Amino acid sequence: MRPPAPKVPSAASSSSHSQREPRPENPLLLLPSSRFTKLSLGCPLLDRLLCGGLPAASVTEIAGESASGKTQLCLQLALLAPLSPLSASSLFLHSDLPFPLHRLRRLAPKSRPDILDHVLVAAAHSPTDLLSLLARAQRLLANPGRSPHRLPIRLILLDSIASLFRGDFDASPADLRRRSALFFQISAKLKELAYRHQCVVVVTNQVVDVVEGDAGNTVAWSSGRRLSPALGIAWANCVNTRLFLTREVEGNGTSGSARRWMKVAFAPHLPEQSCEFVIRRDGVFGVEPER
Amino acid sequence: MGDQSGSRNGPQQKYVSGAQNAWDMFSDELSQKHITTGSGDLNDILGGGIHCKEVTEIGGVPGVGKTQLGIQLAINVQIPVECGGLGGKAVYIDTEGSFMVERVYQIAEGCIRDILEHFPHSHEKSSSVQKQLQPERFLADIYYFRICSYTEQIAVINYMEKFLREHKDVRIVIIDSVTFHFRQDFEDLALRTRVLSGLSLKLMKIAKTYNLAVVLLNQVTTKFTEGSFQLTLALGDSWSHSCTNRLILHWNGNERYAHLDKSPSLPVASAPYAVTGKGIRDAVSSNHKRARVT
Repeated sequence: MRPPAPKVPSAASSSSHSQREPRPENPLLLLPSSRFTKLSLGCPLLDRLLCGGLPAASVTEIAGESASGKTQLCLQLALLAPLSPLSASSLFLHSDLPFPLHRLRRLAPKSRPDILDHVLVAAAHSPTDLLSLLARAQRLLANPGRSPHRLPIRLILLDSIASLFRGDFDASPADLRRRSALFFQISAKLKELAYRHQCVVVVTNQVVDVVEGDAGNTVAWSSGRRLSPALGIAWANCVNTRLFLTREVEGNGTSGSARRWMKVAFAPHLPEQSCEFVIRRDGVFGVEPER
Repeated sequence: MGDQSGSRNGPQQKYVSGAQNAWDMFSDELSQKHITTGSGDLNDILGGGIHCKEVTEIGGVPGVGKTQLGIQLAINVQIPVECGGLGGKAVYIDTEGSFMVERVYQIAEGCIRDILEHFPHSHEKSSSVQKQLQPERFLADIYYFRICSYTEQIAVINYMEKFLREHKDVRIVIIDSVTFHFRQDFEDLALRTRVLSGLSLKLMKIAKTYNLAVVLLNQVTTKFTEGSFQLTLALGDSWSHSCTNRLILHWNGNERYAHLDKSPSLPVASAPYAVTGKGIRDAVSSNHKRARVT
């Protein structure tokens, strides 16, 4: 018995949604056919780690140090989405200036110059900026009337979440509460977009050295330091899946070569495993384990 | 064969012949009202499993296995009566989007494999049991509500009484997680407390009225007390006092542990458990354990 195609919820407005009697869904009808509801990373080894790719209707975080491959992965995903069975445009929200357009162009396949037409870019410089952009994205996804040649947006990338919270917040209890409340507002909005429009949502995050007050947050060794994703355990509660990019330096300092790993820190559907990877000019690719 | 069959049908024979005394009947009835977690050690500290007619809160840090346990319970509640289960259905209210159907399928497969291992002749029994032991059936018997805001959460919980009146075979209601949408900027904190209290009363009521288990998964936050940071359940002061039982999932080094922190009838206790490819199991099991990556 082959399950019916996944039922995509209608893009009803929240007010009419709440007026209707709540209706349960049958999980059997939500069984993903991984060909259509996961976004491949463009590498069979990394896809194997993720059981087929990045899931739709879910928020995946990629955390790591600077130059660990986070932005590279996002650019790669934006270019893969139109070509994949997902057949989607992407919305790329960036908080660091400027948007890396040159890198995107260099990554784009020369045989498909139109691919860049399916990457929508917007800048967000503060949490309120981002919430405003997400509200506009909600309207855009609900009414995609214009641009009939553009593929539907089914990939949302946010690079990075930590940058949004650099300024404007101090360590007072009131500000910590305000900041934390914003985490949950942003997460709820991202998750609603992911669910209602069956989007793959990817958020990058920076890392900080482990401090005493961060009990319960993810910890990993990278570059000889104990690191945790930024924004603490509050933000860790806001993502469904956390991927940690780590680096292991061999030899002495800069003369040694680095090995990179993508680790599943947590996910509701994946075992906690890892895959070695390299960053090449043409993208991020997994490395076959040594025999 | 006759003897084997006879011994396997022992409880039924006792019922039929009327040989079972009242105490045994009472014990059997009580045991039928527990939902196994999949881990014997965890069941032991819970007095047999998750209890019907009670609200149980399960808290823990991200990645420790709260959703895994929630899914496992939604599957285990469906174990057929003939195989020692409740044969009920589940309501799963998902506020975070962590209910991944492919994982639910894996856990259902693992549960069925264990049933067939412990009850080797289940497939030879009545056709209804045979039909029940399919992962697709386990998935279809979960009523899944995905909510995206606290107003939707209030609406679903308000609707539960009517829903359960029309679906009398539901034996567990799981909310994963119960506080996520209430951790956003709530302008009126007193209103939030009143809303949460109202929800908890409704949940306690449906647990008792419809003889089902209510399981509330909760997030963990840090609180600065007595000069150091402590992990505590989210919105604890305005929420946790309403739960009958509280179970804290935590890491002890690289091992997962569950600590029974609050219960009216059981002692405070801890037990190890594991998240395996098949779902929640004992930590010492030979299954491939999901070791924590460090």
